[in-house]
Amino acid sequence: MNKIVTLQQSVMAEDEKFAAAIRDRNTRMGLLMVNIIGSPGCGKTTLLEKTALHAGLSMAVIEGDLATDRDAERLARLGVPVVQINTKGGCHLEANVVEKAMESLPLDTLDVLFIENVGNLVCPAEFDLGEDFKVAVLSAPEGADKPLKYPYLFTSAKAVLLTKTDLLPHLSFDMEMFAEDTRKLNPAAPVFHVDSLSGAGIEQWVGFIKLKAKEKKANVR
Amino acid sequence: MHELSLADAIVSALLKMCEDEAWGRVKKVRLRVGALRQVFPEMLEFAFSTVVKDTALSGALLEIEEIPLEWRCLECGNRWREDSGVCPLCGSFNRETLAGMELEIHSVEVEET
Repeated sequence: MNKIVTLQQSVMAEDEKFAAAIRDRNTRMGLLMVNIIGSPGCGKTTLLEKTALHAGLSMAVIEGDLATDRDAERLARLGVPVVQINTKGGCHLEANVVEKAMESLPLDTLDVLFIENVGNLVCPAEFDLGEDFKVAVLSAPEGADKPLKYPYLFTSAKAVLLTKTDLLPHLSFDMEMFAEDTRKLNPAAPVFHVDSLSGAGIEQWVGFIKLKAKEKKANVR
Repeated sequence: MHELSLADAIVSALLKMCEDEAWGRVKKVRLRVGALRQVFPEMLEFAFSTVVKDTALSGALLEIEEIPLEWRCLECGNRWREDSGVCPLCGSFNRETLAGMELEIHSVEVEET
């Protein structure tokens, strides 16, 4: 005789426990945690460098890469507390490694902790790290068709960033399609146009993060 | 997404339950996967059959139930199941996701011991 055992248990249950613990602690501390997701080379680190140069935001970064600590070095040079995680071949970060990385950061001095996830539009979007929200980063040269091709990320992100907008005059980037598709997938998400090199659009992005950090602090009970 | 690590997570969780609950042979594992969850069923089935080799779950069948996307319009209350997030009745973008984000081990079929 066979019997059916009903479980209705999340496949990621083990890792979700770590994510829940991180989220709990951040809520108690009033620390905003933002999970930055985008392709390799879309400008995630440059965006974080420019964000760090803005006054009035105490930030730290956890860097996820397959290999090297180049990104961490770039941010450390600016005085940003940073921890590098090398995933060897792993294509995303998981909450258990993020929790360990957080141990070596001065959490109680921070307004915001950025996680720069492994460059990839697919897997990182699936794994809850205990963040307040995900941000989807797309660089203009990747093409306007990407939101619909990677709908999970663009649906689950709280904000969308279009980077390298200075290159738009040289590209056949269909802005109307990008705007329409992004809105269809995620009507509530603000879309920021950023050129990190000149700094255009950084102000609005940092303003958004500051607002979210303030809201987070205000909700500490 | 990453089918092999998914298969690994499923099998690890079930092996622990196998031991804790002293189950007999596991015949079937039923999984519910939402359309938005980036899971490629054939790849997951293959990964699962590889991961269970030489474990207590060896020979268990993975049955994947795919859950279609379902939206509800927050303006007019209409429910629809298309891929597009725009309400086909009133054209509003303002909606909530009712189904399509699932990723759960729904049930297992085990031999009575």
